[in-house]
Amino acid sequence: MLISLNWLKEYVDITADAPTLAERLTLAGNEVERIAQQEVDFDGVVVAEVKSLRPLPGSTKNQIAGVTTGGAAVEVVTGAWNLAVGDRVPYATPGSRLGDRRIETKTFLGVPSAGMLCSAIELGLGEDAAGIMILDPGATPGQDLHALYPRDTILELEIKSNRPDLLCHLGIAREVGAIFNLSVREPKIPKTRSSDAPDLVRIDAPDGCRRFVGRLITGITVAPSPPWMQARLRAAGVRPISNIVDITNYVMLESGQPMHAFDYRRLTGGRIVVRRARDGEELACLDGKTRRLTAHDMVVADTERAQGLAGIIGGAESAVQAATTDIVLEAATWEPRSIRRTARMHGLRTEASSRFEKGLSPALSLPAVERAAALVAELSGGTATRASDVYPVPLTPATIELDADRIERVLGVRVEIADAASILERLRFIVKRAGARLQVQPPAFRLDCSIPEDLVEEIGRVHGYDRVPSTLPGARTPVRDLFERRDADETAREVLAGRELDEAVTSSLVSADGTPPIAMPSAAQAVVKVKNPMAENRDALRRSLLPGLLEALALNARQDQGGARLFELGSVFWKSAVNAVDEPQALALAAHVPAGGADAAVAELRSLQATLATMRDRFAIPATAFKQADFPSENPGVFAGFHPGRTGEVLDDGEPIGIVGEVHPQLLAQLGLPGRAVVAEVLFDRFSAGGGRTPQARPLARFPGVRRDLTVLIRGKIAASEVLQVIRQQGGYTLRDISMVSEYQGPQLEAGARSLSFRLHYQADDRTLTNEEVAAVQQRIIDGLNARFGAEVRS
Amino acid sequence: MTQGVAGELERLRASARERIESATDQKALEGLRVSLLGKKGELTTILRQLGGLPAADRAAAGAEANQLKDEIFQWITDRMGGLEAKRHTALGDTEWVDLTFVPNPVRRGHLHPLTLILREVKAIFSRLGYEVALGPQVEDEFHNFEALNIPQDHPARDTMDSFYVEADDLLLRTHTSPVQIRFMQSHKPPIRIIAPGAVYRRDATDPSHGSQFYQVEGLVVDHDIRLSDLKGTIEYFARSLFGPERRIRIVGDHFPFTEPSIGAAVSCGICGGIGCRSCKGGWLEILGAGMVHPQVLRNGGIDPERYSGFAFGAGLDRLAMLKYNVTDLRLFLENDVRFLRQF
Ligand SMILES: [Zn+2]
Repeated sequence: MLISLNWLKEYVDITADAPTLAERLTLAGNEVERIAQQEVDFDGVVVAEVKSLRPLPGSTKNQIAGVTTGGAAVEVVTGAWNLAVGDRVPYATPGSRLGDRRIETKTFLGVPSAGMLCSAIELGLGEDAAGIMILDPGATPGQDLHALYPRDTILELEIKSNRPDLLCHLGIAREVGAIFNLSVREPKIPKTRSSDAPDLVRIDAPDGCRRFVGRLITGITVAPSPPWMQARLRAAGVRPISNIVDITNYVMLESGQPMHAFDYRRLTGGRIVVRRARDGEELACLDGKTRRLTAHDMVVADTERAQGLAGIIGGAESAVQAATTDIVLEAATWEPRSIRRTARMHGLRTEASSRFEKGLSPALSLPAVERAAALVAELSGGTATRASDVYPVPLTPATIELDADRIERVLGVRVEIADAASILERLRFIVKRAGARLQVQPPAFRLDCSIPEDLVEEIGRVHGYDRVPSTLPGARTPVRDLFERRDADETAREVLAGRELDEAVTSSLVSADGTPPIAMPSAAQAVVKVKNPMAENRDALRRSLLPGLLEALALNARQDQGGARLFELGSVFWKSAVNAVDEPQALALAAHVPAGGADAAVAELRSLQATLATMRDRFAIPATAFKQADFPSENPGVFAGFHPGRTGEVLDDGEPIGIVGEVHPQLLAQLGLPGRAVVAEVLFDRFSAGGGRTPQARPLARFPGVRRDLTVLIRGKIAASEVLQVIRQQGGYTLRDISMVSEYQGPQLEAGARSLSFRLHYQADDRTLTNEEVAAVQQRIIDGLNARFGAEVRS
Repeated sequence: MTQGVAGELERLRASARERIESATDQKALEGLRVSLLGKKGELTTILRQLGGLPAADRAAAGAEANQLKDEIFQWITDRMGGLEAKRHTALGDTEWVDLTFVPNPVRRGHLHPLTLILREVKAIFSRLGYEVALGPQVEDEFHNFEALNIPQDHPARDTMDSFYVEADDLLLRTHTSPVQIRFMQSHKPPIRIIAPGAVYRRDATDPSHGSQFYQVEGLVVDHDIRLSDLKGTIEYFARSLFGPERRIRIVGDHFPFTEPSIGAAVSCGICGGIGCRSCKGGWLEILGAGMVHPQVLRNGGIDPERYSGFAFGAGLDRLAMLKYNVTDLRLFLENDVRFLRQF
């Protein structure tokens, strides 16, 4: 919203400078985003009257104008042809300045030109560059142009959506008056209502129109509006068109009520009918486009056709033109929902529609029409003959009670009841005092106040929030388990950062079809789709963090950052029968292995497993077990995207809660990621046991333990977990701990053979174990391994 | 030259002394100790001959031998000390290591700036006794809009154009405010929470907008909560986060779910509040807030005549941008490690 300071001063005598004004308006909730000095930048330009015109000898383009500034006529050469004798024009005298340009006497084809006549664009007063700017015929020759066009300061305000009454100069003037405690001069609205003529306007769809005021004025003359009005419209960012159209815009920018003027003679039947459009009805609009309407759209019609899209844009057919003599002025109040829906449906937001959408008060419309009619009478003549005000359900003003205690209870600062009443009255509330209580009626132009808190806000923002003390809420604090989840999150993050992984945050919105199906096996198979995506590749919610992380690895590889190692902790979205959408927290890890092939990938995979185990250890979850993923023979199914020989499920109490493995080369190729990549994804709540367990101390061993190593040579795809299971079974209770020391596969062994080395720790609580005892258990283990796997064992 | 045992002791004394003095390292001295004083050492060998001596001589020679033993022991100890001192003196040359560079620093992983800023925010509010509440990102219209006084066709929905998902009129939450409603529905006052998380709007992507971004919501409900409490909380929060020298400005604002509504800005750290390219007239907007609207309390199952409350909402990404000098919001979701490793 652009506010002209010159215009504002018509209503209120502002003494503060522009920055102070802007600051105080901002504090009160009307943010001033910018203060701009209008680009009127000239000196020494005066009003001149054209006395004579004759061609410039030898030129077909220029003519010589004889002009006077009150004294003797001087001659000025001009290239414009829109001049007539008697016109008042801006004359840049020799020695004057237009922006950076110095104007001097120049000679054209031997004829001296004493300065120049100016177009609107040369003066920064408009866009018209074609002709000389024609000034108000009442302008006095010799008058400094600054007197007609004072340099203006423009405030750019952001008005909150609940205050459409502030989208106008009068509204801002009232705010300024309230803030600085200044009186505000409201424009005089003539009360010359002629008798209502209900036959001019009929509302057939009262659910879409709260009020419609029409007024017929005959015998007007369409002409340019006077310079003062043009200047104000321009300052507010509106292009002047003609006196009638300018008046409707002027009244809107003054009072906030959008208006329209119809050419009455183009209205079939001489009536205005407010109704819903017929499905498929067409309307040629003022912007040159023809729109097909639906029964949702409100229109202003004559007895036959729609003549305007209600509250949004006028129709071309009945638009005011140069030859128009009879007009109907419209000021209506439209149902915001209806305007909003129509504006959205047709993709058309206008100055009018954005105001109506916010909900204007019906109280604005009648004064707007009366104000406009008075301006029409003043600027274009004519006779206001008939008016029609159709207002099916008039507003009933609400009364709100307020007392000083409530103000203090909400704001935390004492505002004396007299001060509160004064603030409200300055804002045009009607206040009745009954002792310490106020009975308050909001001004008719505002619809946003209905409860005492609304009034407290008015008092608070005008009184000044800087006068509210700073306190903290009382000492009673609820005692609950603080940050339970945060602890697990933060622990995981610290462990992962310590393991040289960087934290990523990837988008929740992914492509439904373009996202590779890689995910932890328990993820829902179907994705949750977005009904109204902004882009095709962002039309679903992620069911796994892995595709996003792999994409990030690829992005980094392209940026010459191969070998990135990332993790993410975040929500995934699973379609569910119970909740429609489940949002479990997932933790995913991804590491790029740019070089080194299969062996390097194994090392990275082992590192990932170690990271997972370390983290669970940090949560005091003793052992993390993995199970070799059992790929179905044909279709990888839930293991899609994973390497069939290098994928394992992460177990919690024997139950799979995630996956760790190498990415299938086919998927890497699809992603354009060179080398190899390994990933893991787990359900975080299960993985962290809901935030980690509390470690429990055990008594220290009183008797020394015995360590023994064991190397098992096995053939084929026998899982270490199975070997360990046999060792544990045979080991009995004195076998307290087993750790895997190394794995070997290579030239020193026959093909397909693998040796696994374990370190076994024996101990008893009640005695020192003898060598014989331990040897017997070791032998039992060796025999067991031999029987089960045919394994050769060395100890 | 003295004959017999006495002579041998005398000769051993001289030779031992000389050998100890000429030893150049600890190992040689250790060897000498064994060869001179050990079980099969030279002194022991001499002592074995004592048995063949007359009783009178035996005592004198024995005393003599014991004295020599002590002397040799002392010489070795002294020489050992001397050598050690010399070695220590020379360490600067013999074991010199250039410490002016780090050959292979251990790389640490870096946490995401959104994690770091949330950590700071949580730490500040945990000092004030707040707990963290979380809500779903896929929300229903009631919690995201209606319960917050934003009915269908409310103009506030213009700024919160939402993504709908295929099921049951669910949408991606456009702000973290629905957590207010959920928490009030499931907890009785006193309530003191912050609720961080991702939110989604159908906004075009540019350096300061994205369709996915992050907020942190705050809600306090108790007897007699006032705007002054909100103001104090904002000041405590903003100055804890940005520095105690910063000033806070409270302006009027409008949100459908708070009444009165305010906006808070912190003085710009770059220009100190004079006004520069990075700020708006010396101020940086950091959050919107207000007293919880009585109807919103009712929608959360709380009687507005008995309780009052305040709520606030801040953009976590915006806070991170301000604090860590990030100029493009898009960097947060791009995961370029050159960016991530700066944190
Ligand atoms: Zn600044």
